[in-house]
Amino acid sequence: MKRLVLVCAAVLAIVGPRGRAAENGPITFEEIAAKAGVSVRHHTRNFKGQGADVLHMFTSGGASAAVGDYDNDGFDDLFVTDSDEGTTSHLYHNNGNLTFTDVTAKAGVGGGNDASSIVADALWFDYDNDGWRDLLVVRFGTPLLYHNEHNGTFKNVTAQSGMTTFGNTIAAIAFDYDNDGRLDVLLGNYFKPQNLLDVSGIKKDPHVLPNDLDRAVNGGGVTLWHNLGNGRFEDATKKAGFAGHTGWTLDVGHGDFNNDGLQDVYLACDYGTDRIFFNNGDGTFRDATEKSIGFDTKKGMNVDVGDYDNDGWLDIYVTNITDEYMKECNMLWHNNADGTFTDLSRETGTCETLWGWSAKFGDYDNDGLLDLFVVNGLRSGSPDNYIPVLVNMITKPGVDFSDVNSWPEIGKMSWSGYQKKKLFRNVDGHTFKEISALAGVDNDRDGRGIAVSDFDNDGRLEFLQANADQTPLLYHNTSAGVGHWLELKLVGTRSNRDAIGARVTVKTPTKTMIREVDGGNGYAGQSSQRVHFGLGPDARITSVHIRWPSGTQQDVTVPVDKITTITEGAATASK
Amino acid sequence: MRRVLFGAAIAAMLVVANGRAAVQNAAADALAPLEAAVEAKPDDLRAANDYRMAVIQAGQYDRALAFFQKTVTAHPASANLHLNYGFEYVDKIPAAGSITQVILANNALGEFTKSIEIQPSWIALYTRGNSYLFWPRIFGRTQLGINDLEAALKMQRADKKHSYHVRVLIALGDGYWKLDDFAKATATWKDGLAEFPDNPALKARLSKQGDDLKVFFDGVYDANKRVDTSLKDLWSEQ
Repeated sequence: MKRLVLVCAAVLAIVGPRGRAAENGPITFEEIAAKAGVSVRHHTRNFKGQGADVLHMFTSGGASAAVGDYDNDGFDDLFVTDSDEGTTSHLYHNNGNLTFTDVTAKAGVGGGNDASSIVADALWFDYDNDGWRDLLVVRFGTPLLYHNEHNGTFKNVTAQSGMTTFGNTIAAIAFDYDNDGRLDVLLGNYFKPQNLLDVSGIKKDPHVLPNDLDRAVNGGGVTLWHNLGNGRFEDATKKAGFAGHTGWTLDVGHGDFNNDGLQDVYLACDYGTDRIFFNNGDGTFRDATEKSIGFDTKKGMNVDVGDYDNDGWLDIYVTNITDEYMKECNMLWHNNADGTFTDLSRETGTCETLWGWSAKFGDYDNDGLLDLFVVNGLRSGSPDNYIPVLVNMITKPGVDFSDVNSWPEIGKMSWSGYQKKKLFRNVDGHTFKEISALAGVDNDRDGRGIAVSDFDNDGRLEFLQANADQTPLLYHNTSAGVGHWLELKLVGTRSNRDAIGARVTVKTPTKTMIREVDGGNGYAGQSSQRVHFGLGPDARITSVHIRWPSGTQQDVTVPVDKITTITEGAATASK
Repeated sequence: MRRVLFGAAIAAMLVVANGRAAVQNAAADALAPLEAAVEAKPDDLRAANDYRMAVIQAGQYDRALAFFQKTVTAHPASANLHLNYGFEYVDKIPAAGSITQVILANNALGEFTKSIEIQPSWIALYTRGNSYLFWPRIFGRTQLGINDLEAALKMQRADKKHSYHVRVLIALGDGYWKLDDFAKATATWKDGLAEFPDNPALKARLSKQGDDLKVFFDGVYDANKRVDTSLKDLWSEQ
C-alpha cells in the first residue's frame, strides 16, 4: 500500500483557548439549552384505537439528535426530532457562539410525522459525495432522504433513491461496507413491518409486540441499503447476510473490530440477544455472535464504539436494563484482539445505569482516555408504579405477550422514571468513576439520544441530550485545566467524502490512541464526524496516521490545540 | 503481555467448556433412574432432591419441569413433590433471562403455596418465606415472607433444636432489614448467634452496616446467582 508522507496544516482558524497540561481537574458542564435556543419539547406519538396507550408507551424512543455541519461553515449544526402527528422536527443552525437559529422552515426538513408515519431518528451523510451533507430521517414508516441543495435548503429525493420500503425503523448508521467510496445505510427496525398506526390492521392482527421478553424473534431486524452511486440505493439485506436476524433491533453500530480495514457491525436488540457481524470483504457479513460474544437474553438499547483502554482495538459499550426489579448489567465488550470480546462492565464500574438508553464515549477532559456519558429513564409520571401491574400480566399463565391487548394500560403511571444520568470518568484505561453530580449532568429526565460535538470549536466536547416528551438539554463543557487536544475533519476523495470509517492513529510521547470517523453510533443520536483526541499534558504529537476506507495510508503533521482539515491523498490541506 | 494472558484464559475456558459438556452428558444419562425413584416415592423429599441436584449438573431444567408437572398431576396431594417442583423453578432461574426469572420465581411460589396448603411443614414455610425475600420491595411481598418465617420460627421453637433452624433466624432478620427495621433485624440476628454461635452468615450480617450491608444483600439476593436449594441438611444432621 502506497504510504503518503504529507505535511498538511491548513487550520480552520476558529480555535479556542489553548489546552494546558492536564492535572485531572474536575469535569464540569453548564446546561444551556434554553439560552442556546434549542429547548423545544419532544412529543411521543398518540395512537388511536385498540392498544393506543400501550403502543404510545412502546414507541417513546424517537427523541433523537443528529450533529452535522450541513452548510460547511466549520461549526456543527443540529437536527432534533419530534414524533407526534402535527409536530415538526427542528434543524438548528450553529451561530458559532453557542447559540442556534431554527432554520427548519427554510430548509424544508421538518416534516415526516403524518397519519401513517412517526419520525424516530435522523442521520447526516453525504450520500452523493458532493461535499454537502444530506439528511436521512427514519421513521416508523418509510424513510425520508433530503438532498442538500448547497444553499440552506433541501430537496426530498426519497422516491428517486429507492429507499421506499416500509419499516418500523428506530436506528440508522451510514458506512461504506464494501469500501466502494459510497456511503451505504444500515437501518435498525424495532417492530415487524406492520403499520402500528393502522387501526384496522392492529384490530385484525394485534400480535405486534415481542413474542418472548427474553428471546423474541418477531422484531423488525435490519435493512441494509447499498448505495449504487447514481442517487439510488438497493436493498442488500439478504445478499449481505442480515436477513436471518429478526430480533427487536434498537441500535446499530459500526467499526473495524478486527483491524482488517473493513467495517463490522454490532446490533443491540431489545428482548433478546445482541448480534455481531464481521465483514467478509466481499459484500457479505458473517454472524459471529456465538463465538465472539455469546448469546444473551438482555434488553440491548445502545451501541457505541471506542478504544477505552488505548490498546489499539475498538471496544463496544451496550446499555441494558438494571433496576430494582431487573438486574441485567450493561456490557462493556473489551476487544480481545482475536475476534472475541469479554464483558468487563462490572470490572470497570460501568455496569449499572438503570434503564439505559444512549451512551457515548468522549474524552471530556482531554486526558487521552475516553469517558462515557449514559442517559436513562423510561417514563417519569405519577407516583404509581407500573411494574407491579406489569408483573401481574407477565406471570399470568398462558399469556400472549405479543398481543397488544394483553398489556395493561399504563395511563400516567411511572416506569423506571426520574433516573439520574451517569457520567463515567475514565480513570486509568481500566476503571471508571461515576461523577455525574460533580459534573452537573445528573438530571433525571427521560433521556433517549445523545449527540456529542465540540459545538464552539474550543477543543472541549459538548453534548445534547434528547428526552422523550420533554425538552432537550445542551451541556456546554466548562471544564478548566483540560489537556491539549486535536480535532481532524477528514475529507475523502477515493473514499466516501465524509470519510466515515477512516481510522486515525495519534502517537504522542506518552500514548497511542485510535479513533474512527463515526457514522451514527449511539442510540437516537449522531455525533460529530470530526475526530477528537485529548492529548493530556503532551503538547507534542509524534505522529498522526490515517487509514482511509479506500486503503490509502497517509501520515500527516498537524498542530496541537487546533482543528485541521485533512483531504485524502492531498499534499496540502484544504481550507 | 496482556493479550497473551487473555488468549490463555480463553483457551482455558474452551477446555473447561468441553469438560463441562461431557459432565452434562453423563449427568443427563443419570436422570432416568432418578426419575423412576421419584415416581416410585413421590412424597420422598430426598428422592426428588437428589433428582434436582442431578438436573442442575445436567442443565436439563425443562426436562425436569416437564417431569415434575407430569408427576404432580399424577400425585396432586404430595406436599413434598410440590415443594421440589417449586425448587425446580428456582433452580432454573440463574439460567434464564431477566423476565423469565420473574415468571419462574412466581411459579415457584405457586408450588410452595400448594405444598403448604397440603401440609404446612417447617421446610415449606421457611422455603416460601425465604423466596418472598428475593422479590424487590416494589412488589410488597416482604411482609408475606416475614409472616411465613415467623410461623416457621414458632414451629422450630416447639421442636427439638436442629442446626438448619438457623436459616429461619437469618432470613427473618433479612426480612426485617428489607422493611427498614434495622433494630429488629439486628436483634433477630443476635438471637440467632446466641443460639447458633459462630454461624458465619449471621456474623457477616452483624459485622456490616449501611451501604456495606446493602451491597452485601444485593449479592445474597441476586437472582443471577445460584441459590443452594439442596435439602440434604434435613437428613444429614448428626
